[in-house]
Amino acid sequence: MGDLNSISLDCGRKPEHPEETHSDVGRTCELHVPVAEGKSVQQTVDLLHKKLEQLSAVKQGSFFVDCETYHAAGPTSGQPPKLLYVMHNSEMPLSCMAMFEGGPCLTADANFDVLMVKLKSHFQNAKGHKVESRGARYQYCDFLVKVGTITMSSSARGISVEVEYCPCVVPGDCWNLMKEFMQSFLGSNVPELPSVFTAKPEGLYAPADSTDTMTQYLELFSKVRKQQVVPGSTVR
Amino acid sequence: MADVMNVGVNLEAFSQAISAIQALRSSVTRVFDSLKDGMKNKETLEGREKNFISEFQENLQAVNRDLNELERLSNLVGRPSESHPLHNSGLLSLDPVQDKTPLYSQLLQAYKWSNKLQYHAGLASSLLNQQSLKRSANQMGASAKRRPKVQPSALALPPQYVDDVISRICRMFPDMTIELSRPNGTSAVLLVTLGKVLKAILVMRSLFIDRTIVRGFNENVYSEDGKLDIWSKSNYQVFQKVTDHATTALLHYQLPQMPDVVVRSFMTWLRSYIKLFQTPCQRCGKFLQDGLPPTWRDFRTLEASHDTCRQ
Ligand SMILES: [Zn+2]
Repeated sequence: MGDLNSISLDCGRKPEHPEETHSDVGRTCELHVPVAEGKSVQQTVDLLHKKLEQLSAVKQGSFFVDCETYHAAGPTSGQPPKLLYVMHNSEMPLSCMAMFEGGPCLTADANFDVLMVKLKSHFQNAKGHKVESRGARYQYCDFLVKVGTITMSSSARGISVEVEYCPCVVPGDCWNLMKEFMQSFLGSNVPELPSVFTAKPEGLYAPADSTDTMTQYLELFSKVRKQQVVPGSTVR
Repeated sequence: MADVMNVGVNLEAFSQAISAIQALRSSVTRVFDSLKDGMKNKETLEGREKNFISEFQENLQAVNRDLNELERLSNLVGRPSESHPLHNSGLLSLDPVQDKTPLYSQLLQAYKWSNKLQYHAGLASSLLNQQSLKRSANQMGASAKRRPKVQPSALALPPQYVDDVISRICRMFPDMTIELSRPNGTSAVLLVTLGKVLKAILVMRSLFIDRTIVRGFNENVYSEDGKLDIWSKSNYQVFQKVTDHATTALLHYQLPQMPDVVVRSFMTWLRSYIKLFQTPCQRCGKFLQDGLPPTWRDFRTLEASHDTCRQ
């Protein structure tokens, strides 16, 4: 399964609601879970749900994260066009994130989408490049777990798992604890401390906004986007 | 029928008594019916009167007979409400829907539980009364009889002295910041911030810590009107647990003659939470137990363990 079996993982912190940015920052970690051999994406998701429920995690509604890609139109002679990603997260229904590839990132009101339509002479929506992850949200003690199916042009491409340990604000501090938790339902798929943290200066303490989390989803989505659709039973 | 005997009710007599009541009511009705109908048509006035009186007498006798029967049966029925330890609520066991609603067995459980609670509370209070270390002003006064040369009472220390003690403690622990405020008169309220892990609010009475509440580093410690919120508990289970343990610690560290030592010991203990999310349990070696990190800190060794692992 090539790329599907590789794990991409990143961590960050995010607020639960944009209006009260300081009230519920936590530490999140998303990873791309390999689909078990001979199983479909849906079967693997069901398996994860079952494992979480065995831990007596409580299902708490659903979530989604989506990402649209825009090409910057204009005099980019020779260079490949710059890409702009516009993302939404159901945890922050009033906001919208816009990120340049490798460049600045901004958090805007949800009606930023309308602005993008007005700017279509500068940024063209790359139709068919919309990637999203949708799934169930689980609460277990102070952990928040989101298991999502990543889809691109209505085909399931993989599974994302986001784990957040809400009481802790310093990601590196609770890494071992989170690892132990993830092992309890992901088995051996748990990765090592992501480089994003070790690379961050000042004790890994990021400002209380959601950019870290969204950056991680973006990286996950880029990986999925590049991945070839392999015909076969493992991916539908 | 075992239950029935237990509650002291003779069901047989009970049902007979009910029929007796019915009989009594109908005989009484007959008396008034005949009175209402009055004298019936007979040839002679004498015959009419005679007939009416004998009918009236007969009816009254029937009432009398039924009343006696009821009285006899009511003695057989027994007096459930007084013979049963649960009094009238014991009658719940007679409820035929008992199989569907476990009300009676729950009642028994609650009864047993409250008895036990009362018993243990009694034991605890007699034990506590033997201890010389007292917290409240009244008890301080009582113990003063035994130790005549008690200090002017540690409850009436000048605020300046309290400030000095706190600032000295603050200097001892660089990873801890303590903000002292006096929102309600002379009593101080401390807001302790421990690294980037937790915030604790300590409500003081002089140099005694009266109450503590622990919340996450990212949680609000101020209520909407900008005052320190000393009541709402943390949203996180881990800090609710730590709050419980901190309250236990307040009761553990007691030395009425040297309140500053108590505050210092408590702060030393609280400081051991600096690695709350980084330390595995010293007993089982794991980080998580039921989704919680090791929240307990031993009062002497400060060793970290899960609440369930510490015994
Ligand atoms: Zn343990």
